[in-house]
Amino acid sequence: MRADALYRALLRCYPAAFRDEYGEQMLLAFSDQLHDAPRGVRRAAVWTGAARDAMAVAPKEHWYVFLQDLRYALRTMAARPGFTAVAILSLALGIGANTALFSLWNGVLRASLPGVQRPEELVMLTDPGEGGVWRGRWDGRTDGPRDWVSYQEFEELRDHAGLFASVMASQSGLGLWQARINGAALEEVRGRMVSGSFFQVLGANPVAGRVFTADADRVDTPEAVISHSFWQRRFGGRGDVIGSALAIRNARLSIIGIMPPTFVGETTGQQPDMWVPLRMQPRVLPGDNFLQDTPPDKAMWLHVFGRLKPGVSLAEAEARANAVLQANLVAFYGPDAIGERRTEFLDQRLQITNASRGASPKRSELATSLTALLAGVGILLLIACANLANLLLARGAARRAEMTLRLSLGAARGRLMRQLVTESLVLAAAGGLAAAAVAVALHRALVMMLAEADPSFAISFAFDPQMAIFLVICTVASALLFGLLPAWQATATDAALALKEQGRGAISGRGRGRTGRILVGAQLALSLPLLVGAGLLARTAYNVQRVDLGFAVDNLLTARVDLRATIDDPARRDVMRQALLDRIRQAPGVRTATFSQLGVFTGGFSTRTIAIAGYVPPPGRNPETTLDGVGSDYFTTLGTRLVQGRDIEERDTRAAPRVCVINEAFAARFLARRNPVGLNVTVMDDSGKGTVFLVVGVAKNARTRTLRDEVEPRMFIAGLQQPPGAGNPIFLVRSQSDAPIAAAVRQAIMDVDANAPLTSIRTAGARLAPLTAQDRAIARLALAFGLVALALAAIGLYGVLSYGVARRTSEIAVRIALGAHPSHVVAMIVRETAGVVLIGVASGGALAYLASRLIASTLFGIAPRDPATFAIATAVLLAVAACAGYLPARRASKLEPIAALRAE
Amino acid sequence: MTNDPSPETFLPLPTAVFHILIALADRDRHGYSIMQDVAARTETAVQLSAGTLYSSIRRMLEQGLIEELSKSPDPSSTDERRRYYRLTRFGRRVAAAEVARLNALVRQARATGLVPEG
Repeated sequence: MRADALYRALLRCYPAAFRDEYGEQMLLAFSDQLHDAPRGVRRAAVWTGAARDAMAVAPKEHWYVFLQDLRYALRTMAARPGFTAVAILSLALGIGANTALFSLWNGVLRASLPGVQRPEELVMLTDPGEGGVWRGRWDGRTDGPRDWVSYQEFEELRDHAGLFASVMASQSGLGLWQARINGAALEEVRGRMVSGSFFQVLGANPVAGRVFTADADRVDTPEAVISHSFWQRRFGGRGDVIGSALAIRNARLSIIGIMPPTFVGETTGQQPDMWVPLRMQPRVLPGDNFLQDTPPDKAMWLHVFGRLKPGVSLAEAEARANAVLQANLVAFYGPDAIGERRTEFLDQRLQITNASRGASPKRSELATSLTALLAGVGILLLIACANLANLLLARGAARRAEMTLRLSLGAARGRLMRQLVTESLVLAAAGGLAAAAVAVALHRALVMMLAEADPSFAISFAFDPQMAIFLVICTVASALLFGLLPAWQATATDAALALKEQGRGAISGRGRGRTGRILVGAQLALSLPLLVGAGLLARTAYNVQRVDLGFAVDNLLTARVDLRATIDDPARRDVMRQALLDRIRQAPGVRTATFSQLGVFTGGFSTRTIAIAGYVPPPGRNPETTLDGVGSDYFTTLGTRLVQGRDIEERDTRAAPRVCVINEAFAARFLARRNPVGLNVTVMDDSGKGTVFLVVGVAKNARTRTLRDEVEPRMFIAGLQQPPGAGNPIFLVRSQSDAPIAAAVRQAIMDVDANAPLTSIRTAGARLAPLTAQDRAIARLALAFGLVALALAAIGLYGVLSYGVARRTSEIAVRIALGAHPSHVVAMIVRETAGVVLIGVASGGALAYLASRLIASTLFGIAPRDPATFAIATAVLLAVAACAGYLPARRASKLEPIAALRAE
Repeated sequence: MTNDPSPETFLPLPTAVFHILIALADRDRHGYSIMQDVAARTETAVQLSAGTLYSSIRRMLEQGLIEELSKSPDPSSTDERRRYYRLTRFGRRVAAAEVARLNALVRQARATGLVPEG
């Protein structure tokens, strides 16, 4: 008896259908066999045979059933091409969108650096989220751990921090350079300067040629390594590229190697065209020398990466690296750092973090948006699955006769369910296959959208095992989501009742209708958060674009001339700047012109410590302000109103008393309740020397740097009263009309100096666009999600109601024949769904209320729980639901009772 | 049975299938009887297990090589649970085709001197 029970357990390995058919016979044969076998080895052999069958024969039988189901599924799908196409298409889009966003989310936020050996071993001594240059003195109290290090600091870290197996440095910001290749016309390239050990530390080998060696840190090495994408794009993948001549400003380089396609370097989300040795910096960016620092200013611009020696902890390495930095700082500031200033000057430290994901200026910026969008497409897929489930439910009803017949003929319910779920799996698999193609296309579109905000943003779609697993999970989960419930319902048939109902065509089938309505309720509940999110993000994009800049963007042109590249003498640079400004002012179509060191929307930023008599800063904080050196008529040209006093004027020359204009934020922060005009502001330099400026005007706040942040205190001083040759001027030109004046301004500049290094000439609007691009892109995506969700929910509701009406045709016909007024029929149909719609919308509202906090950090000018947005989204959803519900109800009320009953 | 596919499309037959066809050649049998017959004829060199047997039977029924009898051919049978199987005419043709195929192989092996003439 025990043997029988054990064998019965083994029989569970076989498909149910096979077991039902042959299980009893197998048990009989097995018992006989066991009974006839002599005890001992022979009997053991019988058991071994049974176990082998369970492992070898049973899977074969399962496979056989699967093939049978597959054939059946394909036949059913071919018989209903419309439904099949809709299902595959919506799954392809749903799963594809999810895969594309997951790939982007994963690539930006989670994935290891591509094309790098053992990325998990990499550590980083600087801030992975920041890219740029900081010239001046780092203040640990206000600035925290170092974002970047200087070239000399890197050299010392490389040579003295013995806990690292290897160390390399790279330019933290991606450079945009004018390059001439093999003597062709100037073209823009994206490049990054890196230390000689860059490629070795990352463990990346070229596909052709060679890479830099450690020697590139000791002697000038006029060489460049190019990326695979640049090789393809610029050279068409030609074989004779190695040795090509490359001129970037004063650097004459030759191309020595090509990197593999996956390699992007140390920063995810950026694809440089080329890498150039750090020591080439003074020639690539003439006018600045970032390799040599003179106290008290340091040029901090490098990221430092390394690999730790085995057994060394992050904490040990950090302590050692900071000891090296401190020694460097003591030597560097030397006599400047005594007493209280010593503590302040030496308050700088490095923080070491794991760098397997590499640096990424975009990671923190995009984290919330990408996660929210990923959640959004996830919800969309759920809604799409609910829709398919509804369609399948309706179809299940149509196939009821078939199911009932098969059940009454003795088919097991499990067998039928298995068949129906196989059908869903086949549909989902077809959708999933198509989704892979959709994902690649969508991923490219998404990256293009994000690149509007940051042209250097580039990340490729990597179809790696992770992505494949995600796609498969999505596909199978979808199949189960939309297939299981309808399969359960379709086979949950009390045969007798169903057959009876089939004959009567009325009254029952309530269970199936209820399931459909619950699905629709869930769809509505899921749609509302998407609509609310779309509304909030659209309002954000609108607000960001409509933010009061405090100056007029229209008809304003900006032109940057890189005087440092061509003129070494600072005084001569100032003369040239004035000559250019004078000539630009005479150009046709120009109303006014001026210049500014920081310009508008250039990202440039410069702060100074100030002292003001009568202002006591909070303890531990120096009063700091942004400082811009501007030309005369700056505020007139920008169109920023002066609330008090005057603009910077021609008379504010080097010989005249030093004056400044401050903005309202400055006045509010430092001069509260005082009349600013006539007060003195002392600007300190790092050696502790102060220069006094008299406030002659107060200007309205203008947003010339960022759109979302509060306007920071800013003071404007006359360019002529700055130390000579400071920075490169950006000319700001206001035109008389809408007519473009770029050509005239360019000509004016060329008239003064035909070789003037005009690095960019763009309208202020064009400079502003990237700042709003990301918000616009995300709002567009969110709106698209919201609309698709709305459409799907409407289709779902319409489908369920239509089905309900169709199912009850005869009942309605009888009612009408007995004199029911059409409006009563409509009311009856509407009543049936009003409940589910209201419950759906209410729970959707609650869901949206909870979820809206998640995107709070990306919103601007609108509260995450803005009542108006919630109200509008709810109203839209209700309106669409009403329309979707009205059509079937109307159709029901228009029923011709006689015709309807006859059709029954 | 004019719609039967050509017997050759079933060849070569899996070992278990061929043994079952042989076992059913002289009389109708139930499952365990088939297992016993195969074991006896091969002097226990081939011993079918229940799983292999019924997996093969399932396939052979579908292919029309055998059929299930509606009642026991053995009036003395006491166990009504047992199901009996019979070779169909098509099954016989398939078995014959397999024999012909094996014969041809044996002839070729002998002609080349691979094995001595029997």
